[in-house]
Amino acid sequence: MGKRDGGGRLGAEDGTPVVAFEDVSKIYSSGEGWRTVLKGVWLEVMPGRTVSVVGRSGSGKTTLLNLAAGIDTATRGRVSVDGQDLAGLSDRARTLLRRNTIGMVFQFFHLLSHLSVQENVVLPELIAGGDPQQFKQRAENLLQRVGLDDRSRDNIQKLSGGEMQRVAICRALLRSPRLILADEPTGNLDDDTSQSVMQLMLQLVEEEGSSLIYVTHSRTLADLADESYTIHSGILDAGSPRQDAKGAKL
Amino acid sequence: MIRYLIHTAWAHFRQGPILYLLTVFGVALGVASVMGIQIINRSAVGAFRGSIQAISSNADLSVLGKSGPLPETVLPTVLADPGVESAWPVYRLDAQVSADPPFYLEVYGLDLSAPQLRPWSAESAPGQEDAYDLSDALSKPGWIAVSKRLAERMGWEKGSTFQVSQGTRQAELEVGAMVDFERFSPQSSSKLAVMDIAQAQGLLGRRGRVHQVDVRVFTQGRRGAEGGEPREEAGKEVAQRLEDALGPAVEVLSGKEREDQARDLLGAFRLNLTALSLISLFVGLFLIYSSTQASLVRRRQEFGLLRSLGATRRQLLTVILAEAAWLGVLGVALGLPVGYWVASSNLEVVSSTVTNIYLLSEIESLQFPPWLLALAASIGLGGAVLGAWLPALDMSRQDPKDLLVAYTLHERIAHSALGMAALAVLILAGAGGWYVWLGRGWQPSGFVLGVALLAALPLLSPMLVRLSCGRLPLRGFGWGYSLRALGLDLQKTASAVAALSVAVSMLVGITLMIGSFRKTVEVWMEATIQADIYITTPSWRGRRSEASISPDLVESLRSHPTVKAVDRLRSRQTVSGSNRISIAGVDLHLSGKEERFKLLAGDPKEALQAARQGAALISEPLARRSGLGLGDQLEVTVPTGQVELPIAAVYYDYGSERGAALVDWSTYADLFGPGPPSNLALYLRPGLEAEQVVEQLQEEFAATPLFFRSNRNLRQAALQIFDQTFAVVRLLQGMSLLIAACAITLTLLILARERISELALYRALGAARRQILGIYLGKGLGMAVLGLALGWLGGLALAALLIFVINRAYFGWTVQVYWPWSTLAQETAGILLAAVLAAIYPALRASRTPATELNRDEM
Repeated sequence: MGKRDGGGRLGAEDGTPVVAFEDVSKIYSSGEGWRTVLKGVWLEVMPGRTVSVVGRSGSGKTTLLNLAAGIDTATRGRVSVDGQDLAGLSDRARTLLRRNTIGMVFQFFHLLSHLSVQENVVLPELIAGGDPQQFKQRAENLLQRVGLDDRSRDNIQKLSGGEMQRVAICRALLRSPRLILADEPTGNLDDDTSQSVMQLMLQLVEEEGSSLIYVTHSRTLADLADESYTIHSGILDAGSPRQDAKGAKL
Repeated sequence: MIRYLIHTAWAHFRQGPILYLLTVFGVALGVASVMGIQIINRSAVGAFRGSIQAISSNADLSVLGKSGPLPETVLPTVLADPGVESAWPVYRLDAQVSADPPFYLEVYGLDLSAPQLRPWSAESAPGQEDAYDLSDALSKPGWIAVSKRLAERMGWEKGSTFQVSQGTRQAELEVGAMVDFERFSPQSSSKLAVMDIAQAQGLLGRRGRVHQVDVRVFTQGRRGAEGGEPREEAGKEVAQRLEDALGPAVEVLSGKEREDQARDLLGAFRLNLTALSLISLFVGLFLIYSSTQASLVRRRQEFGLLRSLGATRRQLLTVILAEAAWLGVLGVALGLPVGYWVASSNLEVVSSTVTNIYLLSEIESLQFPPWLLALAASIGLGGAVLGAWLPALDMSRQDPKDLLVAYTLHERIAHSALGMAALAVLILAGAGGWYVWLGRGWQPSGFVLGVALLAALPLLSPMLVRLSCGRLPLRGFGWGYSLRALGLDLQKTASAVAALSVAVSMLVGITLMIGSFRKTVEVWMEATIQADIYITTPSWRGRRSEASISPDLVESLRSHPTVKAVDRLRSRQTVSGSNRISIAGVDLHLSGKEERFKLLAGDPKEALQAARQGAALISEPLARRSGLGLGDQLEVTVPTGQVELPIAAVYYDYGSERGAALVDWSTYADLFGPGPPSNLALYLRPGLEAEQVVEQLQEEFAATPLFFRSNRNLRQAALQIFDQTFAVVRLLQGMSLLIAACAITLTLLILARERISELALYRALGAARRQILGIYLGKGLGMAVLGLALGWLGGLALAALLIFVINRAYFGWTVQVYWPWSTLAQETAGILLAAVLAAIYPALRASRTPATELNRDEM
């Protein structure tokens, strides 16, 4: 069971946030001039917390995740993961940070069709240079928890969309990362499946003790997180902490 | 639609220049290899033709001796024929000019008092610019007319003198005129020279003998007859009558027939080079195929859109093929100068082969007739369209809705891999069966088998890639992962593997063949070259039989204190049945002779015994070519007619593919008359070092034009000629490998482009750039290993074909199989290295894929 500490608010007062955005802006140049995608974003995600970001297409949601993952760099402001300023890290260091600290889930699953279900799950460990055999048990365990243990040898193309995303969640969790970033994880699924996949993901993240930031179009799904923010034209509005089942402010 | 193509061409090029450039490169290399060889082939015959035109252009026929020079007495017989308008004798010799470096002069002795017989003679009219005077040709000793080009190069003027030798005879010649032979015969050699026939015979040759009699026939039928008949027809009639009148030792040929003879002489050499250049072209087709396919895949949605807007399948096919043809035109434009460069950079080595082995004229300049341009255009355009045909057909056949969705070619080829492999097996089995039951006796059957092999190899590559890569266990993100990924893009990787396998099979097959052949020749020389020192004259290279060593010199060498025994050799070209062979006479009475001949058939002692009594030993190529063997009779044309010699043995011989026969010195004298030797072999007294004696003899005979070579040096020189002969082959191998390396680069570039989302995923999951780089280098290496594996199999089969089928059919040599391991290992390592180098650029590009690319599209 993951530890839940800190309140659902912008700027935690105790402990180091897993990821922190401090007045972050991202501006892209295009043929027609400059385009500001994120404007002065402040955000802190404490260990074990789940955060959702809701916004329309083009509002800057994916850019926010890319900055958190170190895939992209901020034009202004500071993005830190586990207290490390990403701007000060080399590409290789950011890659290693992503490898060891972050797990990612994508809208289109991004599973490799030439690998089996289990091989897709152990892919991060392959990349990290570990022995995939040692991680088989861990992969099997995760697949069992998402109800796909009997499909581990199947080709990925035999799975339904919901099943594929569950495999992608297992892959993201394989190396027990401190932070999971999910970009529209249910954007390619029907409503019923979306709900069940999201709940499953939240449950697993909670069990693993990881933090989670996910972006979504759906207000309903966004409300499942500890904190939910709205992003509009690159501006992140203040979040709304959620009450847990026991009525405690999380 | 073509207008659409023209409007969008530049935009498409800018989007993917490398794909277009690689297509152009594939066409260019294919065109270059074929053109280079065709220019060389053409030039080899052209050089011979140039001499014929310069000397005998006004002649309709030439009367030639089948077994060497003719007596001058044939001239009255020729002139007596009623169809002969005029006839004049020609004496031909190769004299070595003492210069630095020394060179050979193609000297023609002519009757210069009859100037109307040659077009260039008309220039001698005084008062004309560049006029020259031939009137001194008879009166001034040593008078010679040389080409203007040679005079300029040597700094000669009228009156300049220089030393020449023919055999051991030496003479001083004086430049009497400088003639622009090239003006009348553009292909003629700059080393062509003309002197009065009597002077040529007296100073350097033999009086009373001529090499040919040129004949001009009456254009209006026979002398005094009414009406006319075509010149060619009249010539045929006269030729037949002259052959009947002069007997079997003489042949009467037109200029074209003589040229055909030269072409036939070089036939096997030219055919083999052509075949190899076509393999390079074949490898180039894969590059065109891959690049066209990649280019089409990239523009798949564009084609879908065009089809949706009403473009027909035929229009789409036309657009794609027109684009390929346009790239073909660019490839031809690039390939032509490269081909010319290939030919010019190999001119010297091919010229050496042509003169050393085939005894034809030296090639000085390259011939590039207009029809070669047409050939280049058809090869380039045809190759480009052929290479693009399958991808274009595939693209044009698809429905618009299929074109607008994700590409599924991999799926199709994965399913057809088994069928393609089955087709390959069928082709091989069919070709093998055909050979065993029907094709064995047909000379080009080896090439049919070679084509079947080279067609089957590419068809096997998808199955090989699939079997090797598809089921590999996943053990890490390293080479195994790279290999497994190769199986995913079967359409592209199999094509690159196929291209490489064809190039490797050519490399391995030819290396094995050349290595085996070289070693066989080395072993053969070990056995046959047993004397300590070999002596010949500098001019022996050309007209071998007439470059003789004077009897006085032979005697002084025989009595030299270092010499225990002297072996003499005389040789000449003659005709046996339908074969032009060389026949040599040697001293078979010397002891130890039985060990000198490696016999394929016959007992050494019995064979020598029989040969001493007038029998002949024949070479393996002659035995194979003529179907003769032990106990049969060898028909030999001699000056007096034809004789038959019993065959006492068949010996291994690698000196002449045309065939050779060996008789005792005395038998040779009986057949061709007594005469001096052209070569000597010295056996030294025990304890003497050959190298030291060579130095000593060189000093003692410094004033005589003689070549002294120790046993070791002679072997080295022979192997040098051997290596020169295969120099062009090496170049063609290199070109094929270059194309194959390009195919690897191209494939990886395509993969890096098409698998961009996958690469981005790896990056998002924490893969370092170095890891992606490693994966792509691994893919390059993987393709190289697979290409090598398939290529080695193909190479072994090709080597077997070359050694046991093609070589025997065309050259008639027994080549023992030897494994040039060191060369093969170096080549294999070189290919692996080249593949890795070819993979570096695409790997770097792949490694720079940012994780943000993941968001672009679906995987």
